[in-house]
Amino acid sequence: MKLAISKDLTANSYIIWSELVKNMKFLMAYPVVFVFWTIFPIFWFIPFLLQGQAFVGGLQSPEFAKLAGTPNFVAFVILGGILNSYVLTSLYGVGESMRREAYRGTLDYLLSSPCNKAFILIGKAMSQSISSTLYTITQLAVCILFFGIEITLGVIMPVLLIIILLILGLYGIALMLAALSLRYKQAHDLAHTLENIFYVFSPVRYPVQSLPSWAQMVSAILPLTYALIAVRSLMLLKYNVTAVYYEILVLFIIDVVAIFLGFYLFNWMEERTKKSGTISHY
Amino acid sequence: MTKTGERMQGFKRVSCPAGVSWANLKAELRAIWESNVKVWKIELAYPISFLRECVQPLVMLLPFLLYGLILIGGRYSEALQGLLGTVNPVDVVTYIFTGYMVMGFIGTAIWAMGFSIRREQWFGTLEAIYVTPTSRLSLVLGMALHSTLHQSISVGIEFLVIYAVFGLALKIQGILPALAIFALMMLALYGFGILISALALFLKEGWIVAEGLYSILMILSPVAYPLAVLPNVARQASGVFPTGSALIGMRSFLMEGYPSQGVGTIFLHLLALDAAWILFGILVFYLVDVYIRSRGSLGKY
Repeated sequence: MKLAISKDLTANSYIIWSELVKNMKFLMAYPVVFVFWTIFPIFWFIPFLLQGQAFVGGLQSPEFAKLAGTPNFVAFVILGGILNSYVLTSLYGVGESMRREAYRGTLDYLLSSPCNKAFILIGKAMSQSISSTLYTITQLAVCILFFGIEITLGVIMPVLLIIILLILGLYGIALMLAALSLRYKQAHDLAHTLENIFYVFSPVRYPVQSLPSWAQMVSAILPLTYALIAVRSLMLLKYNVTAVYYEILVLFIIDVVAIFLGFYLFNWMEERTKKSGTISHY
Repeated sequence: MTKTGERMQGFKRVSCPAGVSWANLKAELRAIWESNVKVWKIELAYPISFLRECVQPLVMLLPFLLYGLILIGGRYSEALQGLLGTVNPVDVVTYIFTGYMVMGFIGTAIWAMGFSIRREQWFGTLEAIYVTPTSRLSLVLGMALHSTLHQSISVGIEFLVIYAVFGLALKIQGILPALAIFALMMLALYGFGILISALALFLKEGWIVAEGLYSILMILSPVAYPLAVLPNVARQASGVFPTGSALIGMRSFLMEGYPSQGVGTIFLHLLALDAAWILFGILVFYLVDVYIRSRGSLGKY
């Protein structure tokens, strides 16, 4: 009995490892893609910094402070932009991963292999986490050098914990997206729609309080909202970690629900797709 | 008689118009139109996708508006007034809307035109199109026509929503001259789009070039801020693209109290950019076309 469990564990770890190595090989085969995801998210928030400078006539806005708690809109936008890049990479990286296997002609082989497909997805999610974190570290380094973002050693561990919780929640959502793409094929549209929801309803560029109450309710179910509030509280407002316990707890709950739902939906959709014989359909 | 000869008997031989002639121009215009119709048919076959694409520009505009309003705690900016030299504080909603409206058409040039030929490659129809006696540029221009119409629908939706929710202070009498400037800007952007479509044929990961250029253009164009906030080098670089001059010109006609000096210079600048971008785009397109056909890399990914 113990031997069987140990064998299973080894086999499943090997699946995760192989998937991780495969995705890393893809990443290294296209160094331009790596450079793109490292540099261009910075370009996407630069217009907001320039807009702020033009509208306010400086780099501090007292009006902005009334809602955000800080007049430093530059740091607010930069942190929002960097954490938002996890949304993009998880939705397009993991969410569309199954669809990409279909394009490459390898989905049938993956789904007919005698293994639990959840471990394939874990491997995909782990490789995406590694690449996303590499992008984020580089972006943060650029922002520390050029935009005067300050980071103290004391907040690194709690921020890291919040980012891990954010990634878990996002991958739960990405799993649901991957499941839907097995059945409904148009994964790109679904990913775009989700990206738009995150972009408008999360406090990426502006505080949640500036949204109407119905929009704040949508914002309250998105993991990025809590991650942004917590990270900004620690890094920007210099709060103690005890001040963000609530956000961390809610993030944890969202993670559990999203991952459970993600795996359940994926297994269900996989069965349905296999039965309907539409795996290779476009 | 051979079997092939027998088969050929039933067909009428049709000669293709060529060179500089009225017949050829008519044929190319027809090709442009048919290319446009084809894209519409494909697009409307996916109605949910079409709807999402129509609403997408509005979704991307909202953060600029909300962020701008929160920064100044209202809708009029005195700092912007100082930078632009307007008579009264500037209405930021109208300012951002006019800027972002134009930005959507840059997306048209870069994504829709730039990837028109690449998309045919994905569909597996590129080689079939390449052997037809139609100019490759007609295909790109057909996509440009479709994309301009599509973007106009998106701008219409943006206008209606922003007007209903926030209200817009636009001068109705300025619409015609603003449209003239817009048309000049679009000509230059078409030239730019032709260049990108050539690059997309040449570079297989062309989306990175397109996204990169779009991001750079977004920074170098006065969409949500005047060029005065850019460093000097970036301001100079902005002059190479039509969006900077076009936005200044259009705003001077559309916005109340916006300084109107230098409109003549703007027209001349845009005309020069039109000629430069169209000639440069066509030249690069033909060079790439000859190069990839000589290498036999047309169908490669």
